[in-house]
Amino acid sequence: MFYTVIEQVVNGIVSGSVYAIVAVGMTMIFGVLRAINFAHGEYYMLGTFGAWFAIDYFDLPYPVAIVIGVVATAMIAVVVGNFVMQRIVGAPAEAGVLATLGVALILQNTVILVFGGSYKFFSGGYIEPVSIFGFTLAEQRILIIIVGLIVFVGLELMVTYSRMGKAMRAVSQNIECCAVVGIDVSHIALWTFILGAGLAGLSGVLTAPVNVSVYGGMGELITFKTLPIIIMGGLGNVRGTFVAAMILGIAESLVATYVGLQFRDTVGFATLMLVLMWRPHGLFSAQARF
Amino acid sequence: MTEIVRDQTMTQAESAVATTGRDLRIPFGLALIGLACVAPLFLGNYPLHAIIIALIFLLPAHGLNLLLGYTGLLSLAQAAFFGIGAYTSALLAVHFGTPFYLNFLAAGFVTGAIALPLGIPALRLRSTSFVMCTLGFVIIGQAIAKNWISLTRGDMGLAAIPKPHFSLGPASFTVSGTVGFYYLVLAIAALATLAVYLIVRSPAGRNMIAIRENETLAESVGIPTWHYKLIVFMISAAFAGLGGSLYAHYLTVVSPLTFQMYYSTTMLIIVLGGGAGTISGVIFGSLLFVGLTEALRVAPELRMIAYGFFLLALVFYFPNGFAPLIGRFWSFLERRK
Repeated sequence: MFYTVIEQVVNGIVSGSVYAIVAVGMTMIFGVLRAINFAHGEYYMLGTFGAWFAIDYFDLPYPVAIVIGVVATAMIAVVVGNFVMQRIVGAPAEAGVLATLGVALILQNTVILVFGGSYKFFSGGYIEPVSIFGFTLAEQRILIIIVGLIVFVGLELMVTYSRMGKAMRAVSQNIECCAVVGIDVSHIALWTFILGAGLAGLSGVLTAPVNVSVYGGMGELITFKTLPIIIMGGLGNVRGTFVAAMILGIAESLVATYVGLQFRDTVGFATLMLVLMWRPHGLFSAQARF
Repeated sequence: MTEIVRDQTMTQAESAVATTGRDLRIPFGLALIGLACVAPLFLGNYPLHAIIIALIFLLPAHGLNLLLGYTGLLSLAQAAFFGIGAYTSALLAVHFGTPFYLNFLAAGFVTGAIALPLGIPALRLRSTSFVMCTLGFVIIGQAIAKNWISLTRGDMGLAAIPKPHFSLGPASFTVSGTVGFYYLVLAIAALATLAVYLIVRSPAGRNMIAIRENETLAESVGIPTWHYKLIVFMISAAFAGLGGSLYAHYLTVVSPLTFQMYYSTTMLIIVLGGGAGTISGVIFGSLLFVGLTEALRVAPELRMIAYGFFLLALVFYFPNGFAPLIGRFWSFLERRK
C-alpha cells in the first residue's frame, strides 16, 4: 500500500517534470507576449517527431536525435516567431488566442498530412530499468527528472542574473517603459518564444521513449495539460509553474491509480476551474498581475 | 473590448452610407431565399448534404455570434453545448422514442439550463481566463461522454437515432431523404436567423453592443451587464444545443468525438471569417467555410490547415472578417451603374 503510493508519487514527479519543462516555456512566453500560446503542445510534438524522424529514417543514435529534435523545433519556432508571435506583442488578448490557435492547427495538421495520422513506434532512449532504494525506474525517467531540475535551475539563474533574463522580466512588467529605455521588445519576444518552444521540443524528445507511441495529435493533449499548470502557477511565474507542474503530475498519477485511469486527463482542467473560481491569480502569486 | 470588434460599428455605418443610394441587399437577399427554396431541383444529393451541414453549423455559429460578435465574449464552449445538445436529443430518441420536435426543443432547453450553472462562475472571469474556462467545459464534457458508460455507452457512442418523424392526427411522415432534411434544416435555420435578428434589433441587442464596446460605461448608465452576459451565454448555448440535436438526427450517430475543439474552432472561423457582429456575415461564413469545404471534399487535415491560415489572416489582416470585402464589391457594382 505505502509502497504503491511512493511509487505513484515518483511516477508523478516524472510526468510533473515533463509538464514543467513545457509549462515553464509557456509561462515565460505569456509573461513577455501576454498571450496564451495555444500552440505550445505542438512544439512538444514537433520535437518528438524530429527525433523520431532522425532515428527512423537515418538510424541516428538517440543523443543525436535529441539535438536534432530540439534544433528542428527551434527552427520552426524562428519562422513562427517572426511571422506570428512578434505581431502579437501589444495586441489584445483575443488576438493572441486566435492566432496561436491558428498556428496550432497548421502545425498539427501539416505533420499529420506529411507523416500520416497513424501511431508510430519510437525506438530509442534508455529504457533499461535501474533499481534505486528498492524502486525500479527506467533510466529515461531518471534522465527526465534530472533534466527537469537542470532546466529549472538554469532558467532561474538566467532570469535573475543574465542580461537577457533581466530584459525578459522588464518586458513582462511594462512594455512601454522597456521601449523607452531602449530594450528591443520584439527581439526579446522572439528569443523568449524560441527558448520556450525549444524547451517544449526538448520535453517531447525526452518523453518519447517513455510514451513509445508518436502521433500527430499528441500536442493538443499537452497543451491542455499545460494550460491549467500555468494558470495555477500564476501566469508568468516560473517558480510557481514548476511547483504547479509537480502537483499536477503527482495528482494525476494518484487519480489514475485510485480513482480510475480514464479520469487522469480531466484532473488538470477540473483543478483549473477550481483555481480560477477561488484564486484567479494562481496559487503562488501574491496578487493578480494580469 | 477588443479592437477586433470595435471597428465593426464603423464599417456597418460606412456600408449603410454606401448603400443608401440603391440598396441591392434586399433584392439580393430575396433572390437568395428563393434560390434556397428551389435548390433541390438543380443540386445533386452531395451538394445538398454540404448545405445541410453548413445550415446545421449555422445555429451554433449564430449563438457564438451573439456572444462574441455582439456581447464581446470569446468562448470556446460551443463544442461542449453542441455535444450536450446532440446527446440530449439522442438519448431521448433512443431510450424513450420521443418525437423529433420534442427532442429538438429539449436539446435547446437542457443546454440552456446547463449553461446557467456553468456561466455563473465562468463569466466572473475576464479575457484569457474566461477562454480557458470555456475550453475546460469542452474537455470535461468529452470526459463525461466517454466515461459515463451506463448512460452514453462511452466511446461506442449512440447509434440508430431515428430520422425526424412528424405525425399530425392521422397523417404522419418521416423525413428520411436528403431533400426532406434539407427543407427541415432550412426552415429551422431561417427561424433561428429571424430569432437572432429580432434579438439584435431589440433594445436588448443595443445593450449587448454597449457591453461589447465598453462594459464599465454600460454598467454605469444602468445596463445590468451581469444579467445580460449570463442570459446571452445561455441563449448562445441553447443555439448550440439545437444545432447539436439536428446534427445527431441527421447523422443518426453521436460519439464523444462530438466534444472536440474542432467544432469550437469551426464555429470561430465561421463567425470571425464571416464578420463578427453581422448576421449575414455568419450565414455567408457557414456556407463558405463549412459548406464549400464539405462540397469540395477537402481532406480534413488540409481543411484544418486552411482554417489555421484563415485564423491568422483574420487576426492580422481582416479584423472585420471577409464579409466587408463583399460589401466593397457591392458598392463597386453600385458605383458603376
